[in-house]
Amino acid sequence: MGEVKLFFGPNHPGMHGNFSVHMYVEGDTVVKARPLPGFLHRGFEKLMERRLWYQNLALIPRICVPEPDINEVVYALAVEKLANVEVPERAQWIRMIVLELARIAVHLMSMAGIGGPLGLYTGPYWGIADRDRILDIFENLSGARIYHMYIVPGGVRKDMTPKVQEMIVKFLDYLEGRLPEFENLIFKNRIVQTRLRGIALLDRETALEMGVTGIGLRATGVPYDIRKVDPYLYYDKVDFEVPTATEGDAFSRVYLKFREIPQSIKIIRQCLERMPEGKVNVPISEGNALRFRVPKGSVYVHVEASRGEYGYYVVSDGGEKPYRIVVRGASYPQTLYGIEKYLPGTRIEDVPIWLDTMGVCAPEVDR
Amino acid sequence: MTNFMSNALEKLNNVVKKFEVTEIDEREVKIDLKPESVLPALSLLKSEGYYHLSLLSAVDWIDEGKFELVYILYSWNDGGKIIVSTKISRKNPEFVTVKHLWPVARYYERELFEFFGIKFEGNDDMKPLFLENWDDLPPLRKDFDPLEYSKKKFPDREYQKDVIHEAKIIRGDING
Repeated sequence: MGEVKLFFGPNHPGMHGNFSVHMYVEGDTVVKARPLPGFLHRGFEKLMERRLWYQNLALIPRICVPEPDINEVVYALAVEKLANVEVPERAQWIRMIVLELARIAVHLMSMAGIGGPLGLYTGPYWGIADRDRILDIFENLSGARIYHMYIVPGGVRKDMTPKVQEMIVKFLDYLEGRLPEFENLIFKNRIVQTRLRGIALLDRETALEMGVTGIGLRATGVPYDIRKVDPYLYYDKVDFEVPTATEGDAFSRVYLKFREIPQSIKIIRQCLERMPEGKVNVPISEGNALRFRVPKGSVYVHVEASRGEYGYYVVSDGGEKPYRIVVRGASYPQTLYGIEKYLPGTRIEDVPIWLDTMGVCAPEVDR
Repeated sequence: MTNFMSNALEKLNNVVKKFEVTEIDEREVKIDLKPESVLPALSLLKSEGYYHLSLLSAVDWIDEGKFELVYILYSWNDGGKIIVSTKISRKNPEFVTVKHLWPVARYYERELFEFFGIKFEGNDDMKPLFLENWDDLPPLRKDFDPLEYSKKKFPDREYQKDVIHEAKIIRGDING
């Protein structure tokens, strides 16, 4: 039987976003695969050079659609590092709460996402419904559901009210009650066990060679988490664990996401407890707060996103606009090099599972 | 600077004669190298524990007439970041590939060729990655103006008044 060229995506129910893979298949085994990004290229890096530092706040959350808050925090941390600004303590704790809530939201959504390629359609409804409760919290906190533009250079936009704190506590209690049900529904399910165990294997050497970070790497047994290794905000002051697995298969990756949710809950509870009263933002420089200048220099700031290392390299020439901003998408290595290197040898039906569990995210690769 | 980092930089001192070190903060250091010493420096730093290539990108310093290439290396041992930077000529931008050290660098280099026009010797796969049918300057260069490009590429169309008038009649906004 000859080779057949198969276009997978961007319009395909099993495809993970606006992304395409050209595969050469023989029977149902992939012989050669070529990633084809570019469907979502919006030129953010160029656009950001042409806007004021503050104007960019409206742009940056759009770079990563499922988890926009990491963009805001990376940008804010970079600007603060360049300008040497001390951020009020309360703002840092609020940022951590927002980041962890966002992490839970993404993990719930990815638990919904895995339902698609498996044909397990209760998962999506449950995951999306519970994620919506987090979006309600964000709406009360910042006024927006998806793109919050809440974390700004110098702090956060406005204070977290007692009402929102109450909502968060209530939601955490609710979610903790829901987690056993999720485990029963998804991880003890026979379809999930047979379709994910031992599928899409990735060993530690390949992962390190490829430059994979985050869940994909931690599923191979190394506890590499930027929150622990290179702490930002107050992650060195809170107590949490980094769950790892040794199998390196699709199941362990999805299960790690699930096991990260209780850790995030633990972090948020500590943040709420230790958050002091006080100011939540400071100006970056004197003068007009919307047209501030950032001193000359260049920094690289990265955080642990739900998919791995997410960073910005920010260069300033001392002007009102950034000179250059480079976005390091968390899934860049596995999306481009990983597909070409890894997919040959897998079966067609495992391709969406690989894309889904490795966290392939087209918007942050295309930018 | 962490101990781990200063050890690595000391060893680097043996391989590369002269380089400037800028300490950005406790766990972040930027070193400026001459183009010819980048490759030995990178392979030494990789063997010293900085084996994760976080980012490979470029900055266009148009006033100096230079492209700055930036390699950001990260170590999982102490969380240290070393930014290796070098400046190459802007007129005929060419550099050597690092895809034998980090296979993923292939794609970063391909991206740089597309967005800056920097060629990498030893990396043959330079097909466009993100843009389709691009017919202008590499877009991330500072002398490329996206506003002018879009005005040239997508000129304003003039609508005849009659067409709008007719449309309003059809929609029932005005009586014809």
